[in-house]
Amino acid sequence: MAMHEKITQILFSVIDELNQLRPPEEHLQKDLETPLTGDFGRLDSAGLINLIVVTEQQTAEELGIPILLTDDRTMSQVNQVFRTLGTLADYIHLLLKEKHDG
Amino acid sequence: MEIKTFTVADLKTALLSQDFWLTKTLPITKHRAISYSHNPRADKDDLVLLVAYRDNQVIGYLGILPDKIFVNNAVYKFGWLTGWWVDPCFATAGVGAILLFKALNAYHQYLGVSGGSKEARKALDASQKFFAFKTLQGLDIRFRFNLTRAISRKLPTMKIFRVLFKIFDAMLDEIVNLRSFFWKRRNTICQRLTFEYISSIDEETGHFIQRHHQHDLTRKGKAELSWMMIYPWILSVPLKDSASRRYFFSSRSDRFLYLGVKVFEQNNGMVGFFMLKVRDDRMSVVYSYFESQHASSVTAAVVYHALAMDMSALSLYDERLVASFAELRCPYWSTKAVSRGFFLSKAFADIALTDYRLHGGDGDLVFY
Repeated sequence: MAMHEKITQILFSVIDELNQLRPPEEHLQKDLETPLTGDFGRLDSAGLINLIVVTEQQTAEELGIPILLTDDRTMSQVNQVFRTLGTLADYIHLLLKEKHDG
Repeated sequence: MEIKTFTVADLKTALLSQDFWLTKTLPITKHRAISYSHNPRADKDDLVLLVAYRDNQVIGYLGILPDKIFVNNAVYKFGWLTGWWVDPCFATAGVGAILLFKALNAYHQYLGVSGGSKEARKALDASQKFFAFKTLQGLDIRFRFNLTRAISRKLPTMKIFRVLFKIFDAMLDEIVNLRSFFWKRRNTICQRLTFEYISSIDEETGHFIQRHHQHDLTRKGKAELSWMMIYPWILSVPLKDSASRRYFFSSRSDRFLYLGVKVFEQNNGMVGFFMLKVRDDRMSVVYSYFESQHASSVTAAVVYHALAMDMSALSLYDERLVASFAELRCPYWSTKAVSRGFFLSKAFADIALTDYRLHGGDGDLVFY
């Protein structure tokens, strides 16, 4: 399975976990176009914090590679990185590539 | 969106700037900024305020109160989160997350939280970065019945009968006054005590505190308690001014003061010191220092002051004061068990902290 596909599966699993804590009418769609933050975003502060923490945990568990989504670099571009599930997947892909390339 | 960070030095500059105070929403009040800039536990490069701006308007902010934890011979610098607010119109802009994680990064993951709103607690729980390390079990003692206020809150339509309720309250107050009078006459402890009042910590009190704070987690001393008393976050003023209307957290009250009370016993000299916070008709003991054998004297002194200052309610968070209160047999209408939770970031998880003492005013609680 290609890395990007693996990341997408991890994020869908994260969404499943988050949806367990949300009322049915606020469930997030498992779709890369799902908006997370911004004008059409679906996550408030607690929701975004939860997404960040669970994504870090599941990425480490599934891929065996820890990534940091709470550092100042990520925090300075929150609205780009967390605009949609797809932009988050791209960013995680970039972080993993940087780790791989050393 | 732009995030601006303010160190103590930056805040001193902001106090002199005009532009900083022009936004529709204020990220801090001037007197609170002055207090931050005089914090004896803060260095000039410490981050104390994060502000999120959009189109030059404030859409969120988070304050940090630098402090120190003392464990055995080790000292840990950290910050208490305080005044965390996000404009509800920008709830999905990621502001809250940015502010929290930037604060954690700036303090190398060493932060603490005392109290906090329901929303703040939800966000902190979601971060999985904090653990509850201590809950102070306290006591709220109600001296005045205050039917007028209770009815106004629970049944606003009954406000038209306010005059009647006030008459009823006045009658009940007289009963309390009478019972207090007899309690003071009967209570020999109060007759053996004398007091000295201070508006900042003097040398004698500083030495007394130093002898009694060795098991305190944050070991506040002369400099810290004086700073709290001299630089309050809430001003005692009659009306809301422009700043208090533009700031989300409390910044004014009809009556707000700190009072340091030194307690002396006839044959024992100084046996205790407590710092009182009075906000309107409520009194809290925010810091207290004494040997356990003098707990009943100090508790009597606290109650004596609450009655003398005509307080409706008194809050105690020192377990020895709470325990001694039951034996005082002083007049009151009701008591209620209350608690104050303290949380620390998981960077502290491996440090044995539970045996150390916290005061009711620790964190930012002394200021509200």
